[in-house]
Amino acid sequence: MVDNPEPIFFTVIKTFSASISEEAEFVYSHFSSSSEEKSLRDDEILQSLPVGTTATMYFRDLGPQLGWTMVFLAECIGPLLTYLLFYFRVPYIYSHRYAFTSSPHPVVILACACHTFHYMKRLIETIFVHRFSHGTMPLRTIVRNCAYYWGFSAWLAYYINHPLYTPPSYGEIQINYALVMFVICELGNFSIHLTLNNIRGDGSRARRFPVPTKNPFTWLFFFVSCPNYTYEVGAWVSFSIMTQCLPVALYTLLGFIQMSIWAKGKHRAYIREFKDYPSLRMAIIPLIL
Amino acid sequence: MLSKAAHGDVAAKKKKGPGALATAYLVIYNVVMTAGWLVIAVGLVRAYLARGSYHGLYYSIEKPLKFFQTGAILEVLSRVFLTWAVTHSVREVQSEDSVLLFVTAWTVTEIIRYSFYTFSLLNHLPYLIKWARYTFFIVLYPMGVTGELLTIYAALPYVQKTGLYSVTLPNKYNFSFDYYTFLILIMISYIPLFPQLYFHMIRQRKKVLGHAEDYSKVE
Repeated sequence: MVDNPEPIFFTVIKTFSASISEEAEFVYSHFSSSSEEKSLRDDEILQSLPVGTTATMYFRDLGPQLGWTMVFLAECIGPLLTYLLFYFRVPYIYSHRYAFTSSPHPVVILACACHTFHYMKRLIETIFVHRFSHGTMPLRTIVRNCAYYWGFSAWLAYYINHPLYTPPSYGEIQINYALVMFVICELGNFSIHLTLNNIRGDGSRARRFPVPTKNPFTWLFFFVSCPNYTYEVGAWVSFSIMTQCLPVALYTLLGFIQMSIWAKGKHRAYIREFKDYPSLRMAIIPLIL
Repeated sequence: MLSKAAHGDVAAKKKKGPGALATAYLVIYNVVMTAGWLVIAVGLVRAYLARGSYHGLYYSIEKPLKFFQTGAILEVLSRVFLTWAVTHSVREVQSEDSVLLFVTAWTVTEIIRYSFYTFSLLNHLPYLIKWARYTFFIVLYPMGVTGELLTIYAALPYVQKTGLYSVTLPNKYNFSFDYYTFLILIMISYIPLFPQLYFHMIRQRKKVLGHAEDYSKVE
């Protein structure tokens, strides 16, 4: 094996081991005594690993998994559909006399349009735009995430479509400004996704970090590493203002916290990998966070 | 049966100094948390010395850390909640037997647990204390939980009648909260939580008391 000039790609080993377990994560041991947790990629070459003539491979059965595409689809379909149940006031949600009635407030129709558009856009992006790594997510985590997304959207849809819903205090001005901000943020978020997609698509193996393009929405890259998250938070803030609904604001806050954690991680990864990374950039909020 | 004097005592304690119970509990909690973190720190040092490196240290203390933190948080939350959000807020339940039930259970538990950690830190743990810690809970846990559940249950009609801590529609921020339903959900949450904690303690007991040797350090 040592004299064989052919590089042995790791996928070959994985295929042979497929009979052992459906979805396994392979690591190798750096120290002889313990199993150091360094996961191996499919395109790693056996000869390039820092092991001697004998390599000890450890694998761990990760349990039932789903690919990223399925995960995103599952997480998006729920909110999309549950919100509509509340919008159409399906029986047994509100009291009987309100079943299948509609709200007298235009902002309620607008909110439904925005919410539905947001998740439709996500579904389309998941199917046509995003190129996911071949990572997966354990079934348990997906169930937990879906419970969170589906449950929260049901909770906020309940209030927005409620017969006793109170429209925003500042009326038309508040609603219209919020709507404009919402549309800008959705366009911005979409632009960033396209830009990130194009980075990978070039074919060259060299890794580059995302930079602003001619599209003005991407100029946020001058200031933050993850403008997609910035725009996402912006969209939800707009939606909170548009509906003036506390549960929406709460959902926005929790989403902001989670996305900040992700953004910070991505930001640190960029800085570690690229020596010439722009120092002006923050993770998610320009100049602040 | 509990005498009227006992009822009066408990009620008087609540009305005169609600801060006293909470303060005492916080003091005890702080001591316990310090002890707990010392245990984890000792574990880390031992693991480091054994491995000769920092790698994988987290994994060596992960389980006790997670359980200790989760258990501690749950217990703290449940006690603060019971003290302030139920017993203090709903005067009518303050003279209930159930309050005396869980306060007694907590007090005895805490005295034993406090002693257990103190002696462990001094490296001189009498077997009696260890035995008490891993045996008394068999009665004290169900006793405390029963007291807590009964107290919450007793508070329900008053909460519903007065709409305590509840927000109704319509309002400017389109939000509502029903404390009554919330309390019921809390009671339901005991069903999955309590057995888990209880059976974990039983397993711990088998492990700890099952051996003939006397351990002088905390696991």
